[in-house]
Amino acid sequence: MIRKYALSFGALVLALSLAIAAAACGGSDESKSEAGTGTVSVLSLWGGGEQEAFQKVLTAFTAKTGIKTKYESARDFLPVVRSRLAAGNPPMVAIIPRPGIVADLAKEGSLISLDDLGLDADKINENYGEAWTNLTTVDGTTYGVVAKANSKSVVWYRPDDSKVKPVASFDELKTMTTSLTSDPMKPWALGAKDSWTLTDWFENIYARTAGVEKYNQLFSGELDFTDQSVKDALTQMTGLLNNDSVSGGIDGALGTDFVGGIGKVFSTNPTAHLYMEGGFVGGIALADVNPDLEPGKTIDFFPFPTIDQAQGNPLVGGGDVTAAFVNNEDVAKLIEYLASPEAGAIWVSTGAIVSPNKGVQAAAYPNELVKKEAAQVAGATAFVFDGSDLLPGALGEDWGTLLQNVIKDPSSMDSQLSQFQQQAQDAFGG
Amino acid sequence: MSSGTVAPGSVVGKPPGRRLAAMREGGLQALPFLAPALVLVFFFLIIPVIWTVLLSVNKTRGLNFGTEWIGLDNYERLLTRDSRFLDRDEWPWTGALINNIRWLIVYPILCLFLGLLTAVLATRVRYEAAFKAIIFVPMAISATAVGVIWLLVYSPDPNIGVLNATITGLGGDPVSWLGRGDTANYAIILAYVWASTGFVMVVLSAALKGISQEVIEAARTDGATEWDIFRRIQFPLLSLPIAVVSVWMIINVIKVFDVVYIMTKGGPGGATRVIAYSYYVETFENGLGGYGAAVAMVMLALIIPVMIWQIRRFRSEAVVS
Repeated sequence: MIRKYALSFGALVLALSLAIAAAACGGSDESKSEAGTGTVSVLSLWGGGEQEAFQKVLTAFTAKTGIKTKYESARDFLPVVRSRLAAGNPPMVAIIPRPGIVADLAKEGSLISLDDLGLDADKINENYGEAWTNLTTVDGTTYGVVAKANSKSVVWYRPDDSKVKPVASFDELKTMTTSLTSDPMKPWALGAKDSWTLTDWFENIYARTAGVEKYNQLFSGELDFTDQSVKDALTQMTGLLNNDSVSGGIDGALGTDFVGGIGKVFSTNPTAHLYMEGGFVGGIALADVNPDLEPGKTIDFFPFPTIDQAQGNPLVGGGDVTAAFVNNEDVAKLIEYLASPEAGAIWVSTGAIVSPNKGVQAAAYPNELVKKEAAQVAGATAFVFDGSDLLPGALGEDWGTLLQNVIKDPSSMDSQLSQFQQQAQDAFGG
Repeated sequence: MSSGTVAPGSVVGKPPGRRLAAMREGGLQALPFLAPALVLVFFFLIIPVIWTVLLSVNKTRGLNFGTEWIGLDNYERLLTRDSRFLDRDEWPWTGALINNIRWLIVYPILCLFLGLLTAVLATRVRYEAAFKAIIFVPMAISATAVGVIWLLVYSPDPNIGVLNATITGLGGDPVSWLGRGDTANYAIILAYVWASTGFVMVVLSAALKGISQEVIEAARTDGATEWDIFRRIQFPLLSLPIAVVSVWMIINVIKVFDVVYIMTKGGPGGATRVIAYSYYVETFENGLGGYGAAVAMVMLALIIPVMIWQIRRFRSEAVVS
């Protein structure tokens, strides 16, 4: 009696395990471009206003080609992409916020190159400057197009605040900061809880002190993080941002996220005068923080000042890359459309983005703040991409964590950097 | 074992021989009925564990198996070279593992203390039901909501944070509870204690009610003070429920992730990282499935002794109600 049950039970278990093994072994197959299904799924991390803006572009695409689109939003973008890739069910198109990830995914073989999609990569790349095509090209093959760009070399302030004014040099900025340290409203707001705000500070200072070439070497793993130029830039940073000059002190800043930082300057109860962050601050401030703000009158920005005249004023910028995970005709058409000036013009007219596409005219931008940012992006004499977004894997976050530790305790700089350099070596090498 | 009545709620041991014999007789006939559950356990518990072990000894591409067997390299790196997980360079040691130990010490003690206190006090007031309901309500909130609520409470901006508004109202300077490495851990633990005390209280309160009133009356007539009653009658009889609740809390602590993710993302400067957070970062953000699997195995290794202890306790004792 027992044997009968044991046998059938054993057979059941065996059959089920074989079925599971067979399913697990069915890996990905990279087929050539095939006909699409009529719908393209797009994944990105935008929600709210940014999503609405992008949806307009997708709607225009459907109107033009008849191909439907399905937009999905995931704030925790990278975990979602990795899980779906592992499940064999990646989104057809994804808009990736960090070029470092684009390189990782391309090297893993998860992305479809423009050539494999049947598109003319050279022709598409004509619309973009070299700085942008560098982000989408891995080992000579282009894997995507830059969807949107923004400037991160921007200091926000209130023009109706008589105690601050735009300055052109870092020394003037330091003087202005020192003169305000005894003011009840501190000079700087800092959203240090979101450590990427600190990385943006470092990148702006580093590019202006060590220069564009060293910057690119540093963030591509060719230059050690223990280099003296890094320490000098960190010293400048901690000299400007410290307990006296930051609203709430460093501890308070470490407890404030980046939207909270915007609020410290632009909410109805301001506690600080200046905020350094990207061009997107304008959109968020107007939409979410304080809708009563008037661009030009109560909210405006000036470019991050120069530090070393010899290094000029390179623009630190960010951007998102549109890339394909699945190879079919519909996907190819969508990528081609998103790379066109037509799509760019629609998208910028919403005021949500700045387009790196050379074909998009300045007149397409709807408000003063975005026009100013677009002009800054287009007119940059030198350009570097947001460094922490260039770092592989979670190294960018670890870099942010290091900066949090350093602004808290500048004397720990050396030990933190040597520890980080080891991690960096593992990450770049592995 | 005494003859006559045994006080309800007391712990009685059963002779082991009789139980095993009973199991052998009826157990195998139960197998077909157990089969569906066993199949589920096999596929959703045993196979994933084996899969994770295999992942942790291979070099992986994202979440997929690579082709390289690297043996215990991941574990070696995790326990010796990963300063965010365990940093033994200077005393006191820091890192995710140490933070979990911090949680292990502070959280169960605080929860037990507060739970016991409220359970015992609640029996002595007329508005007991309302009191217990209020203490229990946080259990109904998801951990994410708990994280967001306390994030706002701890905000360093006195316009937003209740705690800092109180402090500045009394004339002090605002404190950045989640921004300072030394306070952040305890701040998060406190939030989690707030959320779980209700459960401890309810379990212990039910156990307390199970203690016969006659025994307590008898003690009172013998001249025992309330404190004597608590210390010598109620507390010893609560030892099993306390053990059960402690195990639940210890396992919770080893797994804790959501509050840390919501409130500080392991910050500031990595000061509040916990094992589960390391697991998440390594697997999903770093894309190192194998390394993340090694972290998961460390977590399992920590939980297994606790589970074994709990199962042993259940097997050797039974509560007579």
